[in-house]
Amino acid sequence: MENILECQNLVKFFPGCLALNSVNLAVPKGRIVGLLGPNGSGKSTMIKLANGLITPTSGKILINGMEPGIETKKIVSYLPERTYLNDWMNVNNIIDFFGDFYQDFNKQKAYDMLRRLGVDPALRLKTMSKGTKEKVQLILVMSREAELYLLDEPIGGVDPAARDYILDTIISNYSENATILISTHLIADVEKVLDEVIFINQGNIVLVSTVDDIREKENKSVDALFREVFKC
Amino acid sequence: MYALLIVFALINKFFMAVNADYLRIPQIISASVFVIIIVGICVMTLVVTIQRYNKNLLSDEGYLSFTLPVKIHSHIDCKMLVTLMWAVLSVIVSAISIFVMAVNEKTIVQIQRFFSEVIPALNKLGSAGYVIVLEVLLLAVVAVLSETLAIYAAITIGNMSSKHKILLGIGAYLCFGIIEQIIASILITSFSGTINQYFNWLSKFPAPAQANAMQLILLGLLIYSLVFGAAYYFLTNWMLRKKLNLE
Repeated sequence: MENILECQNLVKFFPGCLALNSVNLAVPKGRIVGLLGPNGSGKSTMIKLANGLITPTSGKILINGMEPGIETKKIVSYLPERTYLNDWMNVNNIIDFFGDFYQDFNKQKAYDMLRRLGVDPALRLKTMSKGTKEKVQLILVMSREAELYLLDEPIGGVDPAARDYILDTIISNYSENATILISTHLIADVEKVLDEVIFINQGNIVLVSTVDDIREKENKSVDALFREVFKC
Repeated sequence: MYALLIVFALINKFFMAVNADYLRIPQIISASVFVIIIVGICVMTLVVTIQRYNKNLLSDEGYLSFTLPVKIHSHIDCKMLVTLMWAVLSVIVSAISIFVMAVNEKTIVQIQRFFSEVIPALNKLGSAGYVIVLEVLLLAVVAVLSETLAIYAAITIGNMSSKHKILLGIGAYLCFGIIEQIIASILITSFSGTINQYFNWLSKFPAPAQANAMQLILLGLLIYSLVFGAAYYFLTNWMLRKKLNLE
């Protein structure tokens, strides 16, 4: 099976801190993968490298066999851990903006999801609460028909009811070939949708496994295993 | 801000028209406010230039900008276009405000006389005259863009630092200035003999030849600006492509 995301001896060094320590990793197509680790373990760094927002100190990161560039940006849908939208725009403007730039953006899907989550598309971002902004961003990102979704902390700021709806949309909306990489530390919530997990700690990959394997071999949930591996 | 400028131009015009002794103080105040607004517009244009670039590409919004499937240079092009638009708008509005303030029967006549003298003079020089006008306009645009690109390059370099972004940015900008100065003085000193000779020789010639020389000099300045602008452009593009590190 082809790999959608590959890291080869990937190193990222920030002044005074080694964020990723020679990571080798391959994520196959068509999976929902959890990138799990404590705060500051290198999850966001890895996702930002995949988007070309930061450049690796050494090593390579490949998306569908290509280094980050225009071609990879066309097929990657990225949800950052912060709000990155223009404050003065309203949701309609932003939907048009995404429609202009991304060929795979499905406006109908976006408006459906907005209606389900009760977000008024005429509202400006400035007037919204943090949680609502996050919902809007997630809707935009999931309304694309991308090959790789990189979701950095997608459910951190939203209420539990919306969380369930969002996770349902994630599973029901994505096509067979698409891959979703979810970075989070809210493991209990996402566990039920994951096919595979990657545990990462202090820039090192600690464990790569399927969720079924963990359940069968270790006879425990991912959440329980995570608590065991990263016990303080 | 633009509206305010026009309003104060009108107020000034009123005071100038009345021009009474008892209105001296408000007259001075409104004239000073007018000057302050013009300066303010210059500053605002500069701030918009810096802030649009910094906010849209190098802060949170950069997370969206740099994940759009477009070439990096499109970002620079589009920011340049916006800056040029603001600069042109500022110049036009300032010009209009001065015109509004100064316009009366006398100035109209003077302006008419100015054009009635300049246009025949240009016609006498033939195409050379119009080329010079065109070159001056072009030079203004290129100089604005080149300076903008120097600012962009400096901001981008500043962003390489994790702690002292602003300090490094200002430092980089000053460095660019020094480098430009050095290159300019090297060019001037190395050619000063020839330039002097050329002008002495030229002063004996009739007007059309002098116009041609003017054309050449403006062309030289244009090329100088273009070369530096291009250097900043490629530097910025290369850094955004290869050295980007958003926080």
